[in-house]
Amino acid sequence: MTSAADVIVIGGGVIGSAVTYYLSREGVKVSLVERGDVASGTSSACDGNILAIDKVPGYDSQVTLKSQKLLAELTESLDYDLEYAQRGSVLVVEDENQERVARDWFSRQKEAGLPMRYLAGKEVFEDEPLLASDVVGLVECASDASLNPMAFVYGLVDTARRAGAMVHPFTEVTGILRDSVGTVCGVETTRGTMSANKVVLAAGVWTPALAASVGVNVRIEPRKGHILVAERSPRPARRKVQEFGYLLAKFGGTEGRNVEAEMDQYGIAMVFEPTEHGNFLIGSSREFVGFDRCCNHHILELMARRALRFFPTIRDIHIIRSYAGLRPYTPDHLPIVSPVPTVPGLYVAAGHEGDGIGLAPITGKVISEMILGEPTSIPTEPLRLDRFKNKK
Amino acid sequence: MDDDTIVCRCEEATVGEIKQAIREGAVDVTGVKRRTRAGMGLCQGRTCERIVMRILSQELGKPMSEFEPDTVRTPVQPVTFGLLAEGAHD
Ligand SMILES: Cc1cc2nc3c(=O)[nH]c(=O)nc-3n(C[C@H](O)[C@H](O)[C@H](O)COP(=O)(O)OP(=O)(O)OC[C@H]3O[C@@H](n4cnc5c(N)ncnc54)[C@H](O)[C@@H]3O)c2cc1C
Repeated sequence: MTSAADVIVIGGGVIGSAVTYYLSREGVKVSLVERGDVASGTSSACDGNILAIDKVPGYDSQVTLKSQKLLAELTESLDYDLEYAQRGSVLVVEDENQERVARDWFSRQKEAGLPMRYLAGKEVFEDEPLLASDVVGLVECASDASLNPMAFVYGLVDTARRAGAMVHPFTEVTGILRDSVGTVCGVETTRGTMSANKVVLAAGVWTPALAASVGVNVRIEPRKGHILVAERSPRPARRKVQEFGYLLAKFGGTEGRNVEAEMDQYGIAMVFEPTEHGNFLIGSSREFVGFDRCCNHHILELMARRALRFFPTIRDIHIIRSYAGLRPYTPDHLPIVSPVPTVPGLYVAAGHEGDGIGLAPITGKVISEMILGEPTSIPTEPLRLDRFKNKK
Repeated sequence: MDDDTIVCRCEEATVGEIKQAIREGAVDVTGVKRRTRAGMGLCQGRTCERIVMRILSQELGKPMSEFEPDTVRTPVQPVTFGLLAEGAHD
């Protein structure tokens, strides 16, 4: 089989699907190539939070705010129920020690333009009455939202297909093809050759392997995370709640929490997310343990224990399922959204760690702008592939 | 079975919704589950999985033996937060 498109997108996760959607919308002829079903990688093993609150104040949080706005538009333009809800989200502050850091975080996010509020004392329990009675504060971001990540992927792919995109599931890319001067000219797949003079690598944690085949070094590593799914039950909170310590687990800060060593060792931090179906999800863990997606029972136990510390009333609620996914981690926690300088025609859109669902809209839009030679919606210097070059 | 028949009682997924998911690209039990929630409820597909496989077989024109059950995930039986957390003390 030989087929020609303007652009080939490798990877049918949320990022590749968003890239395919935004390009198709502009009338570009796109082929999306995915080795499994669409939404079968990390985008099927995650939460669906669209959060600005936990991004580094400044560039990172402002880009997310922009992505949140694009997403609100998408909920209108995609003909698919994304189970989208914008209820805001909160970070729980455990004690006086954390309060100082949390107030500082709050002020910096506010300065960056996020719709923030700090709740203390009895305001905390007016907002979320079932929280453990010893917590001291809540940091709120009103623009935060959530959706069903798999529905998001199906919605993007479906709409793109209707706009003319060719979708090739169960087709693995085995090589990236270049012409005599080194410019991209297509891909080799398990179902034959496909040609195009632009290729976008959006293969999440599997991106480095594909990039290496054309001599390109991509600094992405799998950072594993677990999730517990609770049965349908009365909710312990009405919206997204994370412990403030999540930021410490994510960024590896120095302000320690008062927890046993194992909680820190596995990067465990309580993350609560209600779903539109009446269930709720509990996270989270963070580890570098390769590509294994099996659940570690001991980590699930520690996560349950951490959840009870904040929500003592969930003790008798059943957990019906658990799963683990691989976050595409980069050393500076920012994604790579960039042309590949050494291979003309090749682009990378990957490395969104724990934020790929939320950052998919802005990523798709920016890659589309780069390919069409338009000015980009955000400054893209911090997202360049070669930014890690001089660092070890 | 007509399209309104409920296949997954926990999540109330119907025959029609499952057929629609297959038209949208689902080719196995996991693909149907991700698109319709069939098998995502309290019983985790114990009751409906065979029926989902039968619909897949019928719609895609392949023998039943080609379809595998969804991967089993811990906990095998639902467990409460309290009991799971206590395990963390051993
Ligand atoms: C536990 C957990 C919780 C999370 N919670 C959130 C959250 O609340 N909010 C948020 O924004 N983000 C969250 N994330 C992060 C988010 O899930 C990821 O950033 C995002 O899914 C990455 O999308 P992707 O498209 O880059 O990767 P993927 O979804 O993994 O897609 C890459 C695709 O490429 C395909 N592929 C690989 N190699 C090839 C090949 N050779 N040929 C063809 N196809 C190939 C794979 O099959 C895969 O489908 C979470 C992640 C985890 C693990």
